[in-house]
Amino acid sequence: MAHAAQVGLQDATSPIMEELITFHDHALMIIFLICFLVLYALFLTLTTKLTNTNTSDAQEMETVWTILPAIILVLIALPSLRILYMTDEVNDPSLTIKSIGHQWYWTYEYTDYGGLIFNSYMLPPLFLEPGDLRLLDVDNRVVLPIEAPIRMMITSQDVLHSWAVPTLGLKTDAIPGRLNQTTFTATRPGVYYGQCSEICGANHSFMPIVLELIPLKIFEMGPVFTL
Amino acid sequence: MAAPPEPGEPEERKLLGFLDVENTPCARHSILYGSLGSVVAGFGHFLFTSRIRRSCDVGVGGFILVTLGCWFHCRYNYAKQRIQERIAREEIKKKILYEGTHLDPERKHNGSSSN
Repeated sequence: MAHAAQVGLQDATSPIMEELITFHDHALMIIFLICFLVLYALFLTLTTKLTNTNTSDAQEMETVWTILPAIILVLIALPSLRILYMTDEVNDPSLTIKSIGHQWYWTYEYTDYGGLIFNSYMLPPLFLEPGDLRLLDVDNRVVLPIEAPIRMMITSQDVLHSWAVPTLGLKTDAIPGRLNQTTFTATRPGVYYGQCSEICGANHSFMPIVLELIPLKIFEMGPVFTL
Repeated sequence: MAAPPEPGEPEERKLLGFLDVENTPCARHSILYGSLGSVVAGFGHFLFTSRIRRSCDVGVGGFILVTLGCWFHCRYNYAKQRIQERIAREEIKKKILYEGTHLDPERKHNGSSSN
């Protein structure tokens, strides 16, 4: 989860998120250098003598400031498109979970190996135990195995919602009447948090998502199905 | 990268207050070399030409080019290293899982080399 006043991305828990962080670092460095150049040009503009009248015959400069931005854009676009297509790969998922958005809770369905369906409500502040996270913890977490490709089918029963877990690099809209799909493979166990990411009414901020990722051996023993 | 500093650990410092050069791979290395390149290029140009403004321009240009060059070089090597680490991790996993069976990667490798 994010800590207070965090600006940067959360640590990656999936290979896609690792790639996104790498791309973010790459783009940020290019942006930083462009900003540095622009600030320097601004500084020169503000400190130049006002009698400078050379504003024509600058073909070389014009060529440079046309071609260079094009090259920069290509350098940014190529890794971006690579990751975009990577996120669309579907690598034979082991498990399919359905996530249905409601006002203002999530319903999860594990229908591959039984008919487990449950709702996931945010824990009200009065029901929090010591150590629980306010506005983030829920009554029923989504328990999933690590190192297994998982397919999430996301939809909504009423208005638009969005199922997001930043540490996995996931954000998929829950649209009524439409079934969206996202796949991921978690690489480390733990409890990971997300929040609804599409405005959906008064309690939009109070319908979090909590994933509990456990080793596959423990998942196979069936803790999910003992509810 | 995203964990808050533990009590007792030194507070993390960010360049200009927001650039996390400590935890971004290759960032600190690129900016340090870029700064050095900028000073060398700018000062060297000034020594040869005694033109202050043009030397500042060369310094800024040098900073951008050297930083960018170091950044791409370092990130390329970092990406290669990550791929090698991933391959090694997968091979170790396969070795542990399939040791002694017909799927043992070492047996397949020895079989192909003896053929």
